[in-house]
Amino acid sequence: MEENAIVNPSRKIKKLSKAMSKSDRIYYIVIDVILVLLLLLVLYPLYFVVIASVSDTDAIFNGEVFLYPVGINFKGYDALLKNDMIWTGYRNTILYTLGGTLLNIAVTIPAGWALSRLELPWRKFIATYFIITMFFGGGLIPLYLLVSDLNLLDSPFAMILPYAVSVWNMFMVKAFYTSGIPDGVLEAAEVDGAGSFRTFFSIVIPLSKPIIAVMVLFYAVAHWNNYFSALIFLSDENLYPLQMVLREILIMTETAGSGMGGDASTILEQSKLANSIKYSSIIVSTLPILVLYPFVSKFFEKGVMIGALK
Amino acid sequence: MEQRIAGLTLKEIRKKEKKNYWLLLFILPAFVFVFIFCYVPMYGILIAFQDFVPGDEILSQYTIWVGWDNFAMFFKDYMFWTLIENTFLLCFFGFIIGFPLPVIVALMLNSMRHKRLSKTIQTIYYIPHFISLVVMVGMLYLFFGQYGLVNNALEALGGSRYSFFLHEEAFRPMYILSGVWQDFGWNAIIYLAALSGVDPEQHEAAIIDGASRLRRVFAIDLPAIGGTTSILLILSIGNMISVGYEKVLLMQTDANLGKSEVIMTYVYKKGLTGYVMQGFSTAVGLFNSVVNVILLITANSLAKLFSKNTLF
Amino acid sequence: MKHKWLGKALACVLAGTMLCSLFAGCGGKTRENKDWEELGYQWEDTEAPIVKEKGVIEFEVLAQKNSMTPNYNDLQVFNDLEDETYVDINWENITESAYAERKTLILSDRENWPDAIYHAGFTSAEISRYSRRNTILPISDYLEYMPNFSAILERRPDIRAAITSYDGKIWSLPRIDEMGLTGNPNLLFMNKNWLLTLIRDGSVDFIDEEDVVDGLQLDLNQMTQVLELFRDRDMNGNGEDDEIPMSFVFNNWQGNQTDLYGAFGLPDNPDHMTIVDGEVVLTAVDDKFQEATNFLADWITDGIVPLSVLENSQDAFLASGKGQEKLGAFYWWESATVVSNPDNYIVMSPLKGLNGEEPTLGLSNYPEISTGGVVIMASCPNPEVLCTYFDRHYDPLWSAQLNYGPIGVAYEEEPDENGKLVQKDPPEGMTADEFRLQLAPMGIMCLTQYEWDNFVNMEPRAQLRLDRLEKYANPYNPENVDRIPTLSFTLEEINILAQYEVNVDNYLMQNYMQWLINGGVSDSAFAEFKSKLDEIGLQEVLDCYQAAYDRYLANQGQE
Repeated sequence: MEENAIVNPSRKIKKLSKAMSKSDRIYYIVIDVILVLLLLLVLYPLYFVVIASVSDTDAIFNGEVFLYPVGINFKGYDALLKNDMIWTGYRNTILYTLGGTLLNIAVTIPAGWALSRLELPWRKFIATYFIITMFFGGGLIPLYLLVSDLNLLDSPFAMILPYAVSVWNMFMVKAFYTSGIPDGVLEAAEVDGAGSFRTFFSIVIPLSKPIIAVMVLFYAVAHWNNYFSALIFLSDENLYPLQMVLREILIMTETAGSGMGGDASTILEQSKLANSIKYSSIIVSTLPILVLYPFVSKFFEKGVMIGALK
Repeated sequence: MEQRIAGLTLKEIRKKEKKNYWLLLFILPAFVFVFIFCYVPMYGILIAFQDFVPGDEILSQYTIWVGWDNFAMFFKDYMFWTLIENTFLLCFFGFIIGFPLPVIVALMLNSMRHKRLSKTIQTIYYIPHFISLVVMVGMLYLFFGQYGLVNNALEALGGSRYSFFLHEEAFRPMYILSGVWQDFGWNAIIYLAALSGVDPEQHEAAIIDGASRLRRVFAIDLPAIGGTTSILLILSIGNMISVGYEKVLLMQTDANLGKSEVIMTYVYKKGLTGYVMQGFSTAVGLFNSVVNVILLITANSLAKLFSKNTLF
Repeated sequence: MKHKWLGKALACVLAGTMLCSLFAGCGGKTRENKDWEELGYQWEDTEAPIVKEKGVIEFEVLAQKNSMTPNYNDLQVFNDLEDETYVDINWENITESAYAERKTLILSDRENWPDAIYHAGFTSAEISRYSRRNTILPISDYLEYMPNFSAILERRPDIRAAITSYDGKIWSLPRIDEMGLTGNPNLLFMNKNWLLTLIRDGSVDFIDEEDVVDGLQLDLNQMTQVLELFRDRDMNGNGEDDEIPMSFVFNNWQGNQTDLYGAFGLPDNPDHMTIVDGEVVLTAVDDKFQEATNFLADWITDGIVPLSVLENSQDAFLASGKGQEKLGAFYWWESATVVSNPDNYIVMSPLKGLNGEEPTLGLSNYPEISTGGVVIMASCPNPEVLCTYFDRHYDPLWSAQLNYGPIGVAYEEEPDENGKLVQKDPPEGMTADEFRLQLAPMGIMCLTQYEWDNFVNMEPRAQLRLDRLEKYANPYNPENVDRIPTLSFTLEEINILAQYEVNVDNYLMQNYMQWLINGGVSDSAFAEFKSKLDEIGLQEVLDCYQAAYDRYLANQGQE
């Protein structure tokens, strides 16, 4: 039943648009052409990253790698995947991402909702309170001292707690609620005598699927890519997230490839390997997170909200 | 027509007056986290007024206060106006191109007929966001270097080679376009999410009225993302003189310094000399923030004239 | 109703715990000085244990570590050293990339300071600033407990001068790695087969076939003539115009363009700052610099040197030497990394001037004595014991082991007939560098000519380079030119340098590059360049360097 309710409206539109006018036909062709051209523009460099990751470095620098890989080898992947730290890194990153994102959502969504409500007391003060932190910060030194005083140095929580809320994202949520939720729905709930919490959990949350999905995506990707806090807060290599491990492997290879007066052929091999690693580590580190988008975008389907209302 | 006072409907005014204190609980966790991790360390701003060496206590009897000296050093620097100009122009052009593109792309993707194709395209558009800066700039050198793909193509087409990295005019377009390339798909996501809030019945009604698809984009889709666009617009304007140093530094050559030296790369270089310049870099950061805040407040008050979707 | 209560409680607990731990902090770890008798401390016998038994004293030392080196607590050479001295070091390792970001943060966290930092990498400016704040300990106050180190300073007043701060004290322990290799980081190589081809077909008549050996010397006109032929002919015979007559990496730390300036009589280096007759000078304001730059710009315009060298990408340069032979001549530290067939290339002597003038080669400013290797924090208890421990690092045999690996693993157990240590070959499947990185921390130590003569044999590859430099570079280093040593600046000087140095540097490089791209610099533009440099503080910068250099000379004279 519910399924039908979602699908029906768009089907109707399709039926209606059958009798498409000429100008519409032109419009559709134009946007299709633009989007596909843009797609090619995006695809080629991505394709290049893939073929560069399996090509010979000299061939890349001499401009021979263009349409297909030259001197195919998997040394970059080999160097990465034979390193045991990679798997620890994957595990840690997944844990930080899951834990961090869960906390982010729990904190950000209610806060964004409250901010969007005109009946929030001291609304202006609260908004200003948050906005200030987007521009003014005490810098790294006091933050480090704070984390040290909280005994969070070398603790997984240092990867999560300082980033519990992104003010920027909170305002995205606020913007979504300001224009995305029909007032009528809420008023109906209020008339029913539902309290703030019931309104939020039984009406607002079901309507928020798209924004929650986006927030999951934004926060998860930020956690996934975060290596800087690992760099300054973590010393224990067993706690390193994936990106930090990849960085270390790259630096390790680069150092071996820059030795002064070292064995010539090794230096060369190592610096070539370092280059392959740069490309292959993009593939290794992004493939798992790329699957997130198709999943997230399911919640963008038109009618999801309408369906939920019925 | 509803009566409006200062841009608000009567209903909204009534709402404003009826406070709901429960809502404070919704915001409490965010409030606490921001207090601990943003406000507690904020005393670090004082470093801007000190001759600070790491290991000094920021507030103690031994603190060496230097007043506005660190700021004066920056303002008096002969590079000052060049830095401001370079930073502002880089951000400004980046904004002019980078801000509308995701909106347009999102609107186009949303109105595509083949939904599955649209999904696939979206997924591919957002992938460049995951390319690390080092590889991104590495590819720029490979593609636009003296013997790179672009120059090879130029020569094959009968043109002559152009050193993109040795001509300062090429720096800004290259920096901005590569940035836009990396992030337009990613930035379109938030608009796509907002567009899913559009009630299909609105479209049906419009079709029956005989509105073309293009008209519906302007009449239905665009207003649906107005709130998000407005907030993002204000925030972007409030970032008009901030640019991270990492990518600029990677793309910098001595030849394009004239255009590529921006505030943060300059501060970074001063720090690199080992002269321990915490005071100076904090002061410059603070100056940057103040300018940004002024821009933000201006943008916000301007936005208030047109829309209820403002920051505060 | 339930919700609200729960939410409030949760928030209170969260805020409460955070604030409590915030203000409680951690008590810090103040450790008392221990009594010398209790420790059984001695420092005079440099081969005996420093304290009476293991476990009586322990130090926390933070160490920046190369990612390839194992944890220092597991490093054999440090364990061996502990077995000899009985001083227990608890190493806290941090990788190089993290240290760069965390150095200031760690120093800020006063309550959790380590006792010392190994591989501290303090610049002399950092030392000046931290020393004024009672952050680090004046090591010179403890010299009497450091017999090996004192002996080195006794023997080498120049080392003492280089590591002494402007206030006359020594605040950090140096790494002294003197092989004589870094002064001249460029050698000129030329494709011998290509040159022979040109001689055989009569295109080049000013030299004979038998001249084409290592040490060949040409003047700039002859060189230009050869390179033009390299450019115009299909030297590698592949039918394509892909020859690169001459290449290098612009302003790189080695393999750069500066030796070319030597042909014009200018002792240049990548900093464009050197010492001539005891005076600190900027080479870039010399008229010879203009002349040489115009000459190089012509080479670039004429396609003898590809414009891409200015993009200073080492990777692209190295790739250009691989596969199909394309390089005619190039500057680099050695040839094997650059080209696939190094045997096809000869080492040339530096180029002579346009009218055959003798070349002068500049000296690079890379120090062989680096300060800031180890700093001891002011809070360290029993610093004299730690000083004596670090003093052992300067014992010649320990120096060699700390730099290359332990005896028995990296060195043969038995010394050679001269009583010197002999290096072993790395095990199968491992390169010399990998082997070394896994065995040696490569921190503070001292290997100078004295040690090479009496205790340790040099690595064979270093020896080869040294021989080449002695033939083709050192004879051209003018007497009156010196490298700028590690200098210590006063706080006032640091403020001045902080203000002007980056600007001078930027302005110089920006213009220099523009000249090379645009075919040279006119007299008027060069004059304007010089006056603008003065305007943005060149003289102030030079004055600071001069004052610091004068102090350095004075310190050297004291002994």
